[in-house]
Amino acid sequence: MPINVRDIKAYRKDEKAQHALLTDEEKRRIIQNSLPAPIEQPSVSGLSTKERRSRLGVRKFMLNQLHLLIFALMHGIFSLYIRIRQACNLVRYQISSILYYHHATPQYIQRDVTGLSKKPRHLSAVLRSESRRVAVDLDRLIDETAELATWCACAEIPMVSVYEKTGILKKHMPRIYEATTQKLAFYYGGEHPTLAVSSPHKDSYSSPDMDSNMGHLKLHLISAQDGRESVVDLTRTLAEMSQKGKLSPQDISMELIDNELSEGIMPEPDLLILFGPNVQLSNYPPWQIRLTEIFCLNDNESFGYQVFLKALRNYASAQMRRGK
Amino acid sequence: MSDAVSLIRRFVLESPPGEWAIKQLRGLLIGALKQGPVPQHVAFEMDGNRRYARNHRMETVEGHHRGFEALARIMEICYQAGVKTVTVYAFSIENFNRPKYEVEGLMQLAKVKLEQLTTYGDVLDRYGAAVRVIGQRELIRDDVLEVVDKAVARTRNNQKAFLNICFPYTSRAEITTAIKSTVAEYLAPPPPKNTPFSQTRIRQNILSRQLNGHDPLPTIRDNSPEKQPHIETGVDAEGQGDVDEGASSSTTLPPDSPPLRFRGGSDASSQLPNPETITVDTLDKHMYTADDPPLDLFVRTSGVERLSDFMLWQCHQDTQIFFLNCLWPDFDLHHFIWVLLEWQWRLKQSEREEGPARRRHGKPRKLAE
Repeated sequence: MPINVRDIKAYRKDEKAQHALLTDEEKRRIIQNSLPAPIEQPSVSGLSTKERRSRLGVRKFMLNQLHLLIFALMHGIFSLYIRIRQACNLVRYQISSILYYHHATPQYIQRDVTGLSKKPRHLSAVLRSESRRVAVDLDRLIDETAELATWCACAEIPMVSVYEKTGILKKHMPRIYEATTQKLAFYYGGEHPTLAVSSPHKDSYSSPDMDSNMGHLKLHLISAQDGRESVVDLTRTLAEMSQKGKLSPQDISMELIDNELSEGIMPEPDLLILFGPNVQLSNYPPWQIRLTEIFCLNDNESFGYQVFLKALRNYASAQMRRGK
Repeated sequence: MSDAVSLIRRFVLESPPGEWAIKQLRGLLIGALKQGPVPQHVAFEMDGNRRYARNHRMETVEGHHRGFEALARIMEICYQAGVKTVTVYAFSIENFNRPKYEVEGLMQLAKVKLEQLTTYGDVLDRYGAAVRVIGQRELIRDDVLEVVDKAVARTRNNQKAFLNICFPYTSRAEITTAIKSTVAEYLAPPPPKNTPFSQTRIRQNILSRQLNGHDPLPTIRDNSPEKQPHIETGVDAEGQGDVDEGASSSTTLPPDSPPLRFRGGSDASSQLPNPETITVDTLDKHMYTADDPPLDLFVRTSGVERLSDFMLWQCHQDTQIFFLNCLWPDFDLHHFIWVLLEWQWRLKQSEREEGPARRRHGKPRKLAE
């Protein structure tokens, strides 16, 4: 693409006139001027190229060294920038965590949430676990899940799903149920919303049927197995069915797959909160997040209420155009 | 005051020596980036053309044209940096809902640019760059489809750099198509395996030895030619024995399957491939990006923090996703360089973290050996 201004202007005028202004030659000239040099492949020809290359070798070597120097410089500057940014963000998040502390009172949370124009109906979060010392981590994960569920209950978000890559949360559903009920009781003090803990292909634990008028919260637990693997499982089932003649490939449509995955695994979340420093999906179910607002606070390594609140605020101000 | 400053700036930057200096600087920066790891497959979601047009008070279609210029700039940068595959989201199936004149304008833009690509195909040949258009072909208008096919065919032989244009594309449609084609593939019997040893001859050998009375007759449960008429009567009994034949690994046949007749040649099994062999890789191979390296970097401009049905299947593992606030026509090296630097930095960080973990796992294994 032309880089100098004269060529750009000429190109744009020509474009407006349906490419009839400039002749073919002029167009080629513009193109040649601005194209990069093609990256050469090492050639297998004889000595002559070797001789030529050895003479230019010094120049290339100097250029290479210059590049290395600039590379080291850029990364030096960048590490400095990142450290400064991380430090600043850490301070900011600590301050906001103090300012926005929820005090374990539903009223504070509700006050924070009332100003929002729209709230997600299904919130999802990705929790990270360190691969070593799983037992200690399990307590931390259960605690975080319980807290998140409680905040969602206070903010009147009806469904929350927690994704944890290794699936360790799914194995301890009763513990999670207890921990969350305890936290709910702690926050609310008396009557609290009813809770149902579920996970794909398993029965759910729910409160005995005391229908509280404080609402109901559904906590869904998913893991990496419910991501690509579930799509693969569905493909296997469909292949078997088609081999037995119960279904033809033409019958497979987006709606069919969507139905199966939404009911069997998880419906689409509206908001996805990542509690890590950068946006990496780490095997989160791919089918369901097509229109999900992804929120990640830069350089944030902590799990805190301020992240949750910022995510909700962000979601409220996001525009959903749906392609139009 | 600001006018004077901007005037001076333009004067300096847009003069020939100024532009030469900028060009050299860009080349230097990209060459320097190449010293570190470079992402092999980058995806761009080109968002923000219409907002750009509104901000600069031009027509929406003009905004898209500026967007195309930005695309050309970015592709040049990626090529120089050594990125092998660039995937861009040109048009979504949902965009068909936009006002008609805009869709028309976009189709016209696509036609014109692709025609130019075909005309200047020799330029692309020098770089070894190939253009691929992926997506639901049946939704493209016929005249545009013609141009698309010509452009793709013109650059098909280039193998060094790839540009995937997603037009029109939704990730869910891609996954559905992949599932459909996988299921269709598993509906067809596998091609006969060519081994140098003929199973018929081995069987006949065994049979002839037994018929000569030397060994007791074992129950031969394969479909040898003499046993054919028996197969038609007893389905399950014969079916169970076919464990050692061909590709079938299911040991029982479903009771309502049609009675097994002559199984098409003794070297081949017309038993269908087992669906249990479908894995993530199978589906990967049926995606539109089957030949491309895994997605390393995903960039979305204009501040929207969604994936919007783009590359959902490909970017759900380790791909680093960056949401930038600038609009797509403004996207240039000075935005992209920060993205690349951060990508390289995070890669180094994760390698550093994995290093001690790997060493820790490596030591016990060595002791065990």
